[in-house]
Amino acid sequence: MSVRRKGPRATIVRVFTYLSLVSVAVVVIFPFVVAFATSTKNNQDIFNYPPTLIPQEPQTVDATELLLPDDVDVSDESLSLFTFPDSSTRFALVDNDISVAEFRPLDDLDRIIRLDVSSGDKTGDVVTIDGDEEDVFAIEVDGTTIEAYRSRLTSGGRFVSLDDPADERVELVNLVEPVQQFGPRLENFEEVLIDKNLGRSLTNTVLVTIVVVSGQIVTSILGGYAFARIKFKGRGPLFLLYLGSVMVPFVVLIIPLFQLMLQVGWLDNLSALIIPFMFSAYGTFLMRQFFISIPVEIEDAALLDNASRWKILWRIMVPLARPAIATLATFGFLYAWNSFFWPLVIINSGNPDGRVLSLALSTLGGRSSTDLNLVFAGAMIAMTPPILVFLFAQRYFVENSASSGLK
Amino acid sequence: MAEVTFRSVSKQYDGDGPKAVDSLDLDIKDGEFMVLVGPSGCGKSTALRMIAGLEEVTDGELLIGDRLVNNVPPGDRDIAMVFQNYALYPHMTVRENISFALEVAKVKKAEIKARTEEAAEMLGLMDYLDRLPKALSGGQRQRVAMGRAIVRSPQVFLMDEPLSNLDAKLRVQMRSEIIQIQRRLDTTMVYVTHDQIEAMTMGHRVAVMRLGVLQQVADPQELYQRPANLFVAAFIGSPAMNLINVTLGGTAERPTASFAGHTLAIDPRAVERYPQVADRIGSSVVLGLRPEHFSIEGDFDLPADQTVEFEIDLAEAMGAEAHLHITLDVPVVELDGAPVIAEDGDDVSTSTTSVIARIDGIHFVRSGEVVKLGVKTHLAHFFDLDTGLPLN
Repeated sequence: MSVRRKGPRATIVRVFTYLSLVSVAVVVIFPFVVAFATSTKNNQDIFNYPPTLIPQEPQTVDATELLLPDDVDVSDESLSLFTFPDSSTRFALVDNDISVAEFRPLDDLDRIIRLDVSSGDKTGDVVTIDGDEEDVFAIEVDGTTIEAYRSRLTSGGRFVSLDDPADERVELVNLVEPVQQFGPRLENFEEVLIDKNLGRSLTNTVLVTIVVVSGQIVTSILGGYAFARIKFKGRGPLFLLYLGSVMVPFVVLIIPLFQLMLQVGWLDNLSALIIPFMFSAYGTFLMRQFFISIPVEIEDAALLDNASRWKILWRIMVPLARPAIATLATFGFLYAWNSFFWPLVIINSGNPDGRVLSLALSTLGGRSSTDLNLVFAGAMIAMTPPILVFLFAQRYFVENSASSGLK
Repeated sequence: MAEVTFRSVSKQYDGDGPKAVDSLDLDIKDGEFMVLVGPSGCGKSTALRMIAGLEEVTDGELLIGDRLVNNVPPGDRDIAMVFQNYALYPHMTVRENISFALEVAKVKKAEIKARTEEAAEMLGLMDYLDRLPKALSGGQRQRVAMGRAIVRSPQVFLMDEPLSNLDAKLRVQMRSEIIQIQRRLDTTMVYVTHDQIEAMTMGHRVAVMRLGVLQQVADPQELYQRPANLFVAAFIGSPAMNLINVTLGGTAERPTASFAGHTLAIDPRAVERYPQVADRIGSSVVLGLRPEHFSIEGDFDLPADQTVEFEIDLAEAMGAEAHLHITLDVPVVELDGAPVIAEDGDDVSTSTTSVIARIDGIHFVRSGEVVKLGVKTHLAHFFDLDTGLPLN
């Protein structure tokens, strides 16, 4: 037990400590938040500037609910909403492909007035602009008639105010601000799982992980118990050898293991991801250390109770070793779930049905990286189980990192 | 119920290392409460574990009843054991702990329940049956360990220092409970302890061991009054027997013992018990005096030549009695090159001998005072200085 210090100085220290910890936490957690936000955005929203953390979609309005001018013929039922820089009134885009004329008033050649191509009447005069002769038009702007020449014909949108159907504007669509509203796109997950075949990869990964973790637990318990409690010739050297194999980096084993898989015929087969990893020297070591720490007398007592070795192992030792088993399971899970390089080497035919999640994700990011929202949705799916496992098993995880699971 | 017989049983851990148990011959009778006692490393626990089958017998024969069990696995020996640390299964409730052996033996469920509850009833554990060991006190855990042994109705109970983890008060209580349970069940019990008070109070007979060798097997009184050698004399009794290196003088009829400038006449009754004393006049022997063989002036009616004046180093008043510590300028009595009951690491001065006299608590003696003590030499013991054997 620690005693909490008191006094203003201690308070300042504590506030400072918490502030710095929180800021570090924010920095660490920010990429996750961005990833999650992106996974729920639509493809356009990702590239909006300034970027937002909240997923947004353009706001629309049902055409039948609006009072629209008679000449508007709306084929789309929902109309996108926009605002103009000079007012906060929302306008519905009723036609986004009309011919637009750009006029420049003769008394202010830098000003551009966009109007429907049919508006304005030729006055018959002609002006010379930059050496070209242009017809002069009389156009009506805010109730007054001014003279202008037509500098360009283009196409743009016709906007009708939601407040006043008589208030119409013509503007290039990319010059107005779409009205955004909160709009997560949860279909991303469905799309990535079904259309991008990530569902199959997820199933594969779950299968591989479950079999690898349970296999590791069973073999580590058996091996660890034998090394801890059963006396046999050569136990010491064998254990050293076994432990030594933990020191060999995996990259060194890739080529021989590949050869082996080739000969056994497991190339491009999930067996190659499962069988070699059901045996763990580290797990055996972990279990052995834990079993050694259980008092021998408990086992002696069970022997006197006429329990067989098998019964002692499963009825006495294993229930007592639950913390170590949880640690082993946590580590085994993270390793199996996240493993990338070995699947990349061994699942190599391009058959997407054999892929595991890590592999599928890299493919998704590589080939269709324009669908960033889908890539992030896939990443979220891949990330969630390990995070959940960590949350539930963090006690064992931290315990193990701190003390290798030894009592 | 059965007797347990050791026939020249030895145990050696390394091929040519020392023997943990050396040619042990011991007959434990049916229904007997036998205590194995000795300092740590004396082989008492090894002997017990050999009965249990947890240690292999290197040499000799071990019988339970009429059956040679040298190669019988522990579970088939029909014995039950209580361990020093209780060795309860931490993840099982009290009920599961007690019934585990029956469950392994595939006893019917109803019978398991009945027998478990009978044992729990006997030990006062009925209210704790559904608790885990960690929720029990030391004494309760001790009882669960007992219950686990009782429920099997074994032929032999083995107990390996079962009380050493309890506090003093609980130890006294459990001591009497174990005695009662043994009487009630009338089952052979082998009990290992290093505490000679437990040995004296609990056992029908006590086997004293040292360095793997059995020193003496006898009932507690015999052990106290007629120790078979210097080691038993020194080990049994608390405070321990005072062993003083003395030179015999006087005549064969009325010998004297001289030490550190004092001379003490020896009562002829002691010479009757230790006749060899008469032959050793003029040589050095070991005089053994228990603390209660001293008495302070006024409490005794002893001839003047059986009194000595001592300077008291330290007087410990204990209430009912007082212990007077005296240092004599005589080399300490040794056995195999070490003070008799010194354990490894004990820092014992070998140039002087400490003596403790026990007197009635009503006397007030100050440290540093010189007092006249009478010595009941008719109760004294005599041992050979070299062999440690009694001079009888």
